[in-house]
Amino acid sequence: MQASAVDTVIGALKAAGVSVACYLPDSLFKELYPALDGDADIRTIRVTNEGEGAAICGGVWLSGKRAVLVMENSGLRAAIEPLARIGMGAGIPVVMLMSYRGDLGENNWWAIPHGMTMEPLLGAMRIPYRVVDREPEIARAIHDAFTWSHAAYYHAAVVLSGSIVR
Amino acid sequence: MMRFDCMTILAGKLKAELVILSLGASVDEWYNAAPHMRSASLFQQQLGCVTPQALGLAVGLPHRRVISLDTDGGMMFNLGILATLANECPKNLLVIVWDNECYQSIGGPPTHTATGIVDLAAIARGAGIECAYTVRDLDEFGRRCDEGLRAQTPFVIVAKVDRSVRRDIKRKHSDGREDKYIFVRHVEATEGVVIMGPSEHN
Repeated sequence: MQASAVDTVIGALKAAGVSVACYLPDSLFKELYPALDGDADIRTIRVTNEGEGAAICGGVWLSGKRAVLVMENSGLRAAIEPLARIGMGAGIPVVMLMSYRGDLGENNWWAIPHGMTMEPLLGAMRIPYRVVDREPEIARAIHDAFTWSHAAYYHAAVVLSGSIVR
Repeated sequence: MMRFDCMTILAGKLKAELVILSLGASVDEWYNAAPHMRSASLFQQQLGCVTPQALGLAVGLPHRRVISLDTDGGMMFNLGILATLANECPKNLLVIVWDNECYQSIGGPPTHTATGIVDLAAIARGAGIECAYTVRDLDEFGRRCDEGLRAQTPFVIVAKVDRSVRRDIKRKHSDGREDKYIFVRHVEATEGVVIMGPSEHN
């Protein structure tokens, strides 16, 4: 991930009011995680699985603070059950920032299923999302995801792909 | 040891705290055991999510004591949260696990703790939560609650409770969505913040 994109993401998260970032690290965002850890304005919480991260983010939202769940898109599969429960069942929103493993250009066989399942799962969950592959569009996408999520009280996702993460 | 009796003891110790609790019969029991805490309690229906949500709430409100009322089945669903709690070390989170050794809400098939082999408090200690205790009587439960409500590190009480539930109590009628609104409005009122504000246009 380019250093400028890392800065753009963190700046956009701060502009959206994010003070907590839960993450399970992945390789495409590998430069983002230490930058988040090192940022004085954002508390990071490393989790054991993405579903746990979704639930923690939901709890942060209940406090009046804003959180983001950062992960590879494979984490969506791990998080579906808690996302369904807290989002569909209780109307507690979680905003997700995902790297797009398995998009066109993927050169790892094991990552292909991540691409095949992500968008159908987001559709099944009725989670609106934006796939961003150009750095100038990152900030607007993150802003829009938080705006929508906190109007709908439901989850939203931003997926970073292309030259942003490779 | 009856869960309802434990809840009655705990309820008598709570005033300004916030509570997140798991699903099943414990919902109606807490609704009746702690009527003064109804709006301060988030009644949820999620295995594996209760203590993580409570951690998020505790992180967001570090000056406020948060109590997670979890279950053996719920904690087993995501034991990883114990490791996360140990690493994050919130100063304001008490976790109580109602361990009735069964999935009571679906008729009572056993959880893994029913064998007597699995020890949730030992798992918590192994994860790095030093203050994790199994309690089997009401006096000890009350003492551990007192300690946990003052603790400055994560505190876990595994309460070994009877499988039976109180049936002669008022049912809670609201669903998870209504409960969320009630809870959020309570947090807003007591914290002086806006969480669910008006839209741009009404």
